[in-house]
Amino acid sequence: MFGGSSIKIDKELLEKVKKFAKLAGYSSPEEFVTHALEKEIAKLEESDSEEEIKEKLKGLGYIS
Amino acid sequence: MSASSKRVAFIGAAVTAAVLYPAAAHAYVGPGAGFAVVGSLAVVFITFFLALGSLISWPFRALTRKLRVRKLRGPSQIKRAIVLGLDGLDPVLAKRFMQEGKLPHFAKLAEDGSFRMLETACPSMSPVAWSTFATGVDASRHNIFDFLGRDEKSYLPILSSTRITNPERSFRLGRYRIPIGKPSIRLMRKSRTFWSVLDDCYIPCHILRVPITFPPEKLRNGVVLSAMCVPDLRGTQGSFTYFTTDREKAGSYTGGTLVFVEREGNVVEGELPGPPSPLTEEHEVLTVPFVAEIDDFSETVTFDFGGNEVTLGESEYSDWLPLEFNAGLGVKVKGLVRIRVQKISPEFELYVTPINIDPDSPAMPISEPSMFSQYLAKLQGSYATLGLAEDTWALNERMIDELAFLEQTYAIHREREKMFMNSLAKNRNGLTVAVFDATDRIQHMFLRYLDKDHPSNRDKDTEIHSEAIEDLYVRMDVLLKRVLEHVDDETLLLVISDHGFKQFKRGVNLNTWALENGYMAGKTDATAGGGGGGDGEAAACDFGSYCAPGEGTSAIGEYLSGVDWSKTKVYQLGLSGIYINRKGREAQGIVTSDEYRAIKKELKEKLEGLRDPDTGEVVITSVYDAEEVMDGPYAGNAPDLIIGYNVGYRASWDAAVGKSSVSVVEDNVKSWSGDHCIDYRLVPGVLFTNRKVEAERPGLIDIGPSILDLFGVRVPDYMRGRPIYSGRESEGTGGDE
Repeated sequence: MFGGSSIKIDKELLEKVKKFAKLAGYSSPEEFVTHALEKEIAKLEESDSEEEIKEKLKGLGYIS
Repeated sequence: MSASSKRVAFIGAAVTAAVLYPAAAHAYVGPGAGFAVVGSLAVVFITFFLALGSLISWPFRALTRKLRVRKLRGPSQIKRAIVLGLDGLDPVLAKRFMQEGKLPHFAKLAEDGSFRMLETACPSMSPVAWSTFATGVDASRHNIFDFLGRDEKSYLPILSSTRITNPERSFRLGRYRIPIGKPSIRLMRKSRTFWSVLDDCYIPCHILRVPITFPPEKLRNGVVLSAMCVPDLRGTQGSFTYFTTDREKAGSYTGGTLVFVEREGNVVEGELPGPPSPLTEEHEVLTVPFVAEIDDFSETVTFDFGGNEVTLGESEYSDWLPLEFNAGLGVKVKGLVRIRVQKISPEFELYVTPINIDPDSPAMPISEPSMFSQYLAKLQGSYATLGLAEDTWALNERMIDELAFLEQTYAIHREREKMFMNSLAKNRNGLTVAVFDATDRIQHMFLRYLDKDHPSNRDKDTEIHSEAIEDLYVRMDVLLKRVLEHVDDETLLLVISDHGFKQFKRGVNLNTWALENGYMAGKTDATAGGGGGGDGEAAACDFGSYCAPGEGTSAIGEYLSGVDWSKTKVYQLGLSGIYINRKGREAQGIVTSDEYRAIKKELKEKLEGLRDPDTGEVVITSVYDAEEVMDGPYAGNAPDLIIGYNVGYRASWDAAVGKSSVSVVEDNVKSWSGDHCIDYRLVPGVLFTNRKVEAERPGLIDIGPSILDLFGVRVPDYMRGRPIYSGRESEGTGGDE
């Protein structure tokens, strides 16, 4: 389940996901799959502009 | 009272509060009124059948629940657990004030139970440490290493805790562009909270203001109110507005906006800039107008501030003022501010707090269930919702003084106390956690008063508030007294802090060090980048104050602008560490996999024991190689080398935003004079508890597992912490002792 949606996954692969999620230190197989997908998507996604970033970080006490 | 009846009572109280709260009556007669009546009847029928269904299915649900709980939970040693989180409470200061007899309730708790130093997280900063508390795992398993991460493609910083993205699709309607769907708000903290494990066992949890809980997670049997990193209505981490007639104040101010106004006769008019319009392509800034009428005789100002009438004298705060920013098409974005008249004449000056999300009508999800923030607003009135609500930058920039900051901080603290006491009264058979921030913010801004030689004391008061820190600890003792009234033999009480506090007297800039030692190079011509690895037009030496002697070196500007990435092996961004410009990872990386480990080793050797050229003191006590001290699935997002600064030092203000400076080490002269972003071994937090702690070296990582264990819930395998009351120790938060 991913936020209310399901994705079909090969049974054999799912078993491996379960096994390695535990070995790697994830709290669940879902977290492992989400992390793997997020890493791939991050490569494709556009970055925020410098102006957007400055605005979002404005007021964060620890940095000027 | 059972968990379900508690829940019903809670919802009932919310509904009652909502009904009793006076609201404006609206009469509507016109097209669609008939449909409204039919719609209302439908709602009544649906509600009736849902209630009936719920009643019939109750025995089956109760049985399922009992079987499930039996499977997940063994015998419990406690009925309730209370965690009082006092951000940054320092064990050394606590001990000192206890010895001086100023903290009788802390002293009693230590005597009857335990008082221990609590190992913090690595790196030792609140988002990392509270995430470790929440999950029972180290940073490489929860993915929060700093306030800031970095984008490997652009070298620009990113807020580590949350990603907010607007809907991609929209349609045009005249001058408006209507977004389709809601913005996506994702929490970047990974793993799983220990309270969600309790929730699986139907143990009710009230989680109030724990950092890095935005957006809040859904609990089937509890409530969550988000904290640190909830933005203000402008989307920033908190930016004040300062109105003045004094043109001599012209300049740029970190963390806020200066707006010039004119006084005409006795009247000053202005507009408070708010959020960008969500409905237009230009995203123009929405505003709320105000009119101030000055009465020179009584020395008061009467405001019409966005429809709120309020009269204030000089140095007086208003209550929270609800504001509506009209975006058009009937869309209104609601926020809250407090205003303070700084000066009446000859110059008029007005300070306005950051615009907090209105908890009674939240523009973003700040609680779960969403009605919980409204329930609290109905129950106790408006309250601060911003993550870092205490306006440290307004004091740093001297727009407000120490007294104004303390008044603001303690007003927010009182709001939190009310919420906490309400939860303690209602949640008698579960977990209640509340984190208070005043301890952190006041120590950041007032620690200089404890050190006469602190550079921050220059040109500032060193007497009037010299007891502010002691007063803070005494107030926390009074809070503890109130909490103890809710503690019985079946209650576990934990008073914890996420880290301690030390003086921040000197800032360290490792970008400057890297420039001086040939690990970083700046562009020397007009092609120097304007922002990260981009292609701006600014000349190298225009960026900052630093222009290293000799040809070929140049200043690095904010967010690493002006860096020549083709000649740069290492860079600093954020507060926790430094990154290697690694080939295949960073967009313009040059350090190959073969060189990667060798350069880390070389840097570690050179930086450990680095001395302050002015004082001769050791600046860096330890450098931690993330590969060696972290083995979780997110370790790859950590800085390659985590820098353990010595007491008195921290990453400099410039270094944190990727800038170079004149010197590698320089004085910190800001009011922000205390800090904890140093070697994590030097800045442990506190642990006070009403039970005997058996673990030799308890850590924040152990708190969640300890609570699970006492509730009779099995500690999940992925958690790295271990119960502290049973003598089993944790596997540590990384790094050697």
